[in-house]
Amino acid sequence: MRLEGSLIVCEECGLAHRWHPPGHGAVARCTRCDAVLDRSHRLSIDGILALTVAAAAIYLVAVNTPLLTLTLRGPAEQASLIDAIRYAWTDGEPIIAVVAGITALLAPAAFVALRLYVLFPLSVGFKAPGFAWCVRMLHQAERWSMVEVFTVGVLLSLVRLAGLAHASPGPGLFALGALTVLFASIQSAGLKRLWWQVQ
Amino acid sequence: MTAASEPPLLLGCESCGLVSPAVVLDDPTLVQECPRCGHVLAATKPHALQRTWAFVGAAAVLYIPANALPVMVTTQALQRDEHTLLGGIHELWLDGSWGLSIIVFVASIAVPVLKIAVLGLLAWTVRHKPHWRRLERARLYRLVETVGHWSMLDVYVVVLLAATVRFGALASASPGPGLISFAAVVVLTMLATWSFDPRLIWRDVPDGRTV
Repeated sequence: MRLEGSLIVCEECGLAHRWHPPGHGAVARCTRCDAVLDRSHRLSIDGILALTVAAAAIYLVAVNTPLLTLTLRGPAEQASLIDAIRYAWTDGEPIIAVVAGITALLAPAAFVALRLYVLFPLSVGFKAPGFAWCVRMLHQAERWSMVEVFTVGVLLSLVRLAGLAHASPGPGLFALGALTVLFASIQSAGLKRLWWQVQ
Repeated sequence: MTAASEPPLLLGCESCGLVSPAVVLDDPTLVQECPRCGHVLAATKPHALQRTWAFVGAAAVLYIPANALPVMVTTQALQRDEHTLLGGIHELWLDGSWGLSIIVFVASIAVPVLKIAVLGLLAWTVRHKPHWRRLERARLYRLVETVGHWSMLDVYVVVLLAATVRFGALASASPGPGLISFAAVVVLTMLATWSFDPRLIWRDVPDGRTV
């Protein structure tokens, strides 16, 4: 665990502070630039692990089941997240497919998979091989993961399609919504906290 | 939280949070690494300003084709339509979806322009107005960092419409050439945000506690 009175450096301005555990629901801010230094967090490693396992299951649903179904006088078209990216690739926009694939498919996958790999060993008390590298990659995955933006994108498409034909949401959309909430609660624990568990 | 007042420069690891005293390195090709996790420790990111200017410049140039060229091409009952970013927002407005058109306007027009302008301002003030409103500049940087990725919204919408509106000659949608430029603008402004170092805003603060 982190020692009371140990040093913490503000990431945004570089000022050093003495760390004291923030009270329940409190946020510690930098005295100079007002950036968030630390916030109170209730979830234990086991709690975060449980949320991550749930996120892994929901990710599979979100990616593979239809996000929306469109009916136009008879024929119905539906698309899952993977379908959407595959169509962008085959329709001759590979750059768009790569950008959407990284931000909506691969980064969220890395977000879940690397956390599972790191958290399972931590919960039984040892450090996974390549722990430091995994945490660094997790920082990158968090930067590039845009599940919440994609979810709003699906909602927006649904509204825009409603004028053209009969459009209805699929199970994938609900899974994406749940995934957005889970990612936010997992992320709120902060990646640096993972290191506090390592001795 | 109380400010520590130790004279040596302290560096916090971006990856694991461990604080280490800065080491003076004789060889400029060497870098200091975090003793706990091996991540690079530096008082400021390398070439932060040059990289920020390069990404901001590229994004500003690509922003022109992103707006001028169609981002989506649709066919409906054999009629081919090209939609630009602003055109799509205008159509939503005319359809009566004011709320939606405002959301899309903020995500696709306001956020990219704000990011290019703010990052340009931040990079310029580091050199030319270092003492000017530091706290406000730090807050501006945080704002840009938080809202930045929402611009990807329009890219996703076009990808989703192209994947579902597939009824051949009856109705179809596909991404237009402007969408590639727009996606590039979004990615470039995100890279510009991360290459800028907010610690530069606080360089040469009179109390001399950092950098």
